[in-house]
Amino acid sequence: MAVPLNGQWQCQCPPHKRCCKIQPSMLACDLADLASEAKSVLAAGADELHLDVMDGHFVPNMSFAHPVVASLRKHVPDAYLDCHMMVSRPSQWVEAVAGSTKGAGARYTFHLEAVEEDELDVAGVVKLIRDHGMQVGVAIKPGTAVEALSAVVALVDMVLVMTVEPGFGGQKFMPNCMPKVLALRSEHPDLDIQVDGGLGPSTIDAAAAAGANLIVAGST
Amino acid sequence: MLSTLAFSSGFSVSRSPVSQGRAGAPAMLYGEPRPVQIIPSVLPADWANMGAECKRLEDAGVDRIQFDVMDGNFVPNLTFGPELIAACKKYTTVKFETQLMVSQYNCETMLDEYTAATNQPGKPGVVIAHVEGNTHLHRTLTKIREGGGSPSVALNPHTPAEMIENVLDLCDHVLVMTVNPGFGGQAYIPTMVDKIKKIRGWIVDRGLDIDIEVDGGVKADWTIAACADAGANCFIAGSGMFAYENLADGCSELRTIAEAAQKGKGLPKGETIKDLDAVAA
Repeated sequence: MAVPLNGQWQCQCPPHKRCCKIQPSMLACDLADLASEAKSVLAAGADELHLDVMDGHFVPNMSFAHPVVASLRKHVPDAYLDCHMMVSRPSQWVEAVAGSTKGAGARYTFHLEAVEEDELDVAGVVKLIRDHGMQVGVAIKPGTAVEALSAVVALVDMVLVMTVEPGFGGQKFMPNCMPKVLALRSEHPDLDIQVDGGLGPSTIDAAAAAGANLIVAGST
Repeated sequence: MLSTLAFSSGFSVSRSPVSQGRAGAPAMLYGEPRPVQIIPSVLPADWANMGAECKRLEDAGVDRIQFDVMDGNFVPNLTFGPELIAACKKYTTVKFETQLMVSQYNCETMLDEYTAATNQPGKPGVVIAHVEGNTHLHRTLTKIREGGGSPSVALNPHTPAEMIENVLDLCDHVLVMTVNPGFGGQAYIPTMVDKIKKIRGWIVDRGLDIDIEVDGGVKADWTIAACADAGANCFIAGSGMFAYENLADGCSELRTIAEAAQKGKGLPKGETIKDLDAVAA
């Protein structure tokens, strides 16, 4: 399904030329030793660090937030920080996350379902993120149809299709989310499509075959 | 915990001698002094090395370590949750304390996780619920105890002491906030001493075994002295502790000034620990 080209894996089915990247989730690490854990995964070849920020409201769990990210940034000044914001009112934390991640690349991925309660609409949230110098990702939960993204895809850099219900690590991959990935890839060959939740050696092929190119790996 | 049952009449209170050379009201701690506990907050620490920072605090001689859980709803800041707190247990044997600056919804859905994360084998974790964030405070405090934790209740600066008068019997501690919670490095609010004195009065008069904690802008100066004099014995210091190059010095200075204030040698505004002997003279 995938062939190496100049050291980068290129998925051939369905056709697209997006680079495939594995993004380790810091949630699976020793949270009391984030600096060392981050350096280890980067040394092992990770392209980006995936940071799961939860606020105990959008999801029924609290992990860590921008002050932790700010401390982490000091130890990994050049790492690309992929911030998955499982928070209500996503515009609330844009400035803080931008401040915490500054110095190198970062992505602010907000949930489509959370924008309803935000004072800004999707376009407003996207603009706010870009104005603060970060790349933009939008995420959908398993229960959200891919059609809900139709007006949004053109605005963002990346779409995250959750393959578990967000909030906790160690959950089982939901293969019925793959049609969403396939639908997105078929319409948008140049889009970065990320999957998160239960990705591991036995499930990564399904995700890649459907067209995902950014794979978040946590407890697996 | 130091017993307060020495005062069977409720009226024979120990008054520390008035210290000389102090401006303002004389020092008069109501009741027998309870052991001073220095409890740094991790707010100013390096959060990418939280375990190592906890060990550093343990080596500095602190009595407990406080974790500030903020959910972006109760306070306009977002910090961390139970998994990060639990991860620190491998690095230190110091008792943990978790202040839940979270909404009622979050407290109700995650209280068991917070309590479990704060507990250590043989050491109930202190779990602090805010009176303002809990419509059913009695139930919350009971749940903390049932989960093996040590219940504490916190009051924001504007909240009158009376809000917790009816649940004192459920608590091991009461936390009087001396700043508006949400961020470190804020200035101490001096008007809170009256609230501390009032709660201290209830504790002593009712013969309750309860510590009073203070949190917010407390430093090794007149602020900790004023709180100790008013009846607080547990002092949460964030920037007040981490300002020291050597954390052990910070812990020691905070403890020394608090204990001196309990004995009536309160440090006035503008003076430092170096002036402490002069105050007692």
